[in-house]
Amino acid sequence: MMTVAAPTTQKSEKFIVPIGPQHPALKEPGHFEFAVDGEIVTDATVRLGYVHRGIEKGTESRNWAQNLYLLERICGICSHTHAFAYVLGVEQLAEVEAPPRARAIRMVVAELERVHSHFLWLGVGAHEAGFDTLFMYSWRDRETVMDLLESLTGNRVNYSACVLGGVKFDINGEQTKGILEGLDFLEKRTHHYLNVIQQDALFLQRTRGVGVMTQQQARQLGVVGPTARASGVARDLRIDAPGQHYNDFNVNMILETDGDLAARFVVRIRDLFESYRIIREILSNMPEGDLVVKRMPRKIKAGETISRVEAPRGEAFYYIKSNGSEMPERIKVRTPTLCNMASVLTLTVGQHLADVPMILVGIDPCFSCNDRSVTVTQPSGQREHWTWEQVRRFGIEYYQRQGGQ
Amino acid sequence: MRIGMMLGDVLRALWQRPVTEKYPFERREAPTRLRGKLRWDPEKCTGCGLCGKECPSNAVEVITIDKKNKRFVMRYHMDRCTYCAQCVQNCRFDCIEMSHEDWELAAANKESFTVFYGKDEELDAFLDAVSASDLAETAVS
Amino acid sequence: MEAVKDILALLVFPGGLFVVFAGMMYEWLDRKLVARLQNRIGPRWFQPIADTVKLLAKEEVLPESVTPFFFVVLPLIALAGALTAVLYTPMVGLEPAYSFPGDLIVTVYMLSLLTLCIGLAGANTRNRFSLVGATRALTQLFAYEAPFLLALFGPAIAAGSWQIGEIAHYAESHWFIFTQPIGFLVALIGLMGKLELPPFDSPEAETEIVAGALTEYSGRGLAIFRIGKGVELVVGLTLIVTFYLGGVANPIVFFVKTIGMLVVMAALQTLLTRLRIDQTVGLWWRYGALLVLLQWAVLIVVQIA
Repeated sequence: MMTVAAPTTQKSEKFIVPIGPQHPALKEPGHFEFAVDGEIVTDATVRLGYVHRGIEKGTESRNWAQNLYLLERICGICSHTHAFAYVLGVEQLAEVEAPPRARAIRMVVAELERVHSHFLWLGVGAHEAGFDTLFMYSWRDRETVMDLLESLTGNRVNYSACVLGGVKFDINGEQTKGILEGLDFLEKRTHHYLNVIQQDALFLQRTRGVGVMTQQQARQLGVVGPTARASGVARDLRIDAPGQHYNDFNVNMILETDGDLAARFVVRIRDLFESYRIIREILSNMPEGDLVVKRMPRKIKAGETISRVEAPRGEAFYYIKSNGSEMPERIKVRTPTLCNMASVLTLTVGQHLADVPMILVGIDPCFSCNDRSVTVTQPSGQREHWTWEQVRRFGIEYYQRQGGQ
Repeated sequence: MRIGMMLGDVLRALWQRPVTEKYPFERREAPTRLRGKLRWDPEKCTGCGLCGKECPSNAVEVITIDKKNKRFVMRYHMDRCTYCAQCVQNCRFDCIEMSHEDWELAAANKESFTVFYGKDEELDAFLDAVSASDLAETAVS
Repeated sequence: MEAVKDILALLVFPGGLFVVFAGMMYEWLDRKLVARLQNRIGPRWFQPIADTVKLLAKEEVLPESVTPFFFVVLPLIALAGALTAVLYTPMVGLEPAYSFPGDLIVTVYMLSLLTLCIGLAGANTRNRFSLVGATRALTQLFAYEAPFLLALFGPAIAAGSWQIGEIAHYAESHWFIFTQPIGFLVALIGLMGKLELPPFDSPEAETEIVAGALTEYSGRGLAIFRIGKGVELVVGLTLIVTFYLGGVANPIVFFVKTIGMLVVMAALQTLLTRLRIDQTVGLWWRYGALLVLLQWAVLIVVQIA
């Protein structure tokens, strides 16, 4: 169930500010209700599931290769992460190992994606704070890494870099040079942005001491990724579970201890420097060899597996079960936003209404990633889960009522 | 703690040209790896059908006219295509590629999204054979 | 003859058409400057006009649960207030169209009418964003109003008159920006607060409360409020330039000075982060009001001595 409900009491007496499903602060639909007393939030509830697309169910009627592209479209920002986690799982099941060069290229794309995602987030965060200049400039500079990804993979968003057992393309010398030049520029800009977010007095007024999450709270709420690292919880899958990929390359843990919004900004920006370093290291130690394994079976051996990848927002978790056929039996995805969403509800209570969008954005939410199942709330308030068949029948009947065929 | 940390950027922007690209008037060259419209080379195709088999959106159909003489036609649904290049990866004879020049693919009608590839004589034969109703069905689906 | 002059003053210059058009051009310049400072292209010169024409032509949706009379009348009162203020202001450095002793106070209150109307318009609807926006707009009004008033009264005390025309003539020979720098700064920043420009845009912070008090407005009402804001921008800048930057002058020189002020305002908008409403109030009362009072104390001591 995706609906997380905080205790609600005497709802009718409260002044509730609804945020969403359509709201300028949200780039994707989600519904929040903040009970406010003046400008102070006293209670928060969330309802998710507006962008449920039935992807998990859809994977069960597609073959292993087709699913790669379906799963890649779970998230528009960390598309490579999903493909990455999926191919890792499938390769484990098939007992195939991607060649070293393919692994290196996957990591380069994953880190470039992290760079683009963090820049995007920096802009969104600045926009929520009402600092549009930082927003415009950070997105201008983000174009550099978008162009790098486009020239490397062939697309700005859905890179489809991975194939089962390898990658689609090689990195040649010219592209290496291009990436290194781009990184030099970005590094210079990142230093500047780090200065801005750490020193601009008015910006700090909106971030320092806002939405503080203590280390203990972070552990209790089970937050992941940069949100956890900003509260001093050392949680980074690239270090905790490096797998074959990150084993060869050393990743440093980026930790901040303040736990407020300022720390979440700083942690992500410092994450960028780490990504630059990793990309440079990989590019200078690029292993030689094939891009794809010689033989990738069309039917994957029966079995089940778990694969995890550190997405820009935290841990992306895949459970894959195969029954030995051309199609998976079950794929379960858990995205980092779901882990972090509970923290929003806890952190906003007691804060100013003006800080709510910033705290919400502070976890870098991605709603379409985390919407998985449909909870139907009847007008009587009763909640029930629908089966796939019920949803299907409802859809058909709905369109018939609308006069369709 | 200072006020106006972005002052340097802001002042520099006064002398800089805006970075916004006036897209339809100024076009930048697309990178060579860009995945645009699919191209199919009938000369090399052996009709194995691997491209269509793993296409995530069933956008590629290789239609066999005469298997013995290796006569094939490809029906490519541009509107369904997700431009993932899995077909390019699957093709062992290098007869599929994705163009980096044809990427402005918007059209006002749906018919133009169904593209047929093949040698001229086979294409003519195939299109003659396909009845008008079949084509209409293609347009709907 | 007198009647013709009155009608011209009301409908063409300095009130009416001229100032409405000038407001749109100032708004465009402000948007363009902000865009260029952010390395963007920005709108073309007719964008505000096109926006206004479009809004005026659109259907006005009357939401449920509003009092229709107030919903329609409040934008008109706001615009009327702003246009009345124009008549007592030395537009483009010319003599004000009308003048009487104490018109400074009337003008300043006419300017506040806009914010008041926006607040009431927000409170008139049941939309929760509007209500929060209205609360914030009125809270902000009480925050900047006193310091802004005190800042404008500084030159009045120095000139020994409450009549805008007389202060303007006195200011020709006394550039108050040098003798009363604090008042100048407070007046300029107060104007930004009045117009709800960043960093004082929390009453209409789109990421929190959509469009604030005007969320329910569409069509004609929204257009009139926007025109009112444009007029207020012109009047506010004109007053500041008149009082602090050398009073009544050659129209071209005066225009250049006004544009200079607009550039400064655009730069401030790009450089500063939006303040929360409690921070805004704190800023004005803790620093703005105290500093202006300090300057007043100095002024009065100098005046008596």
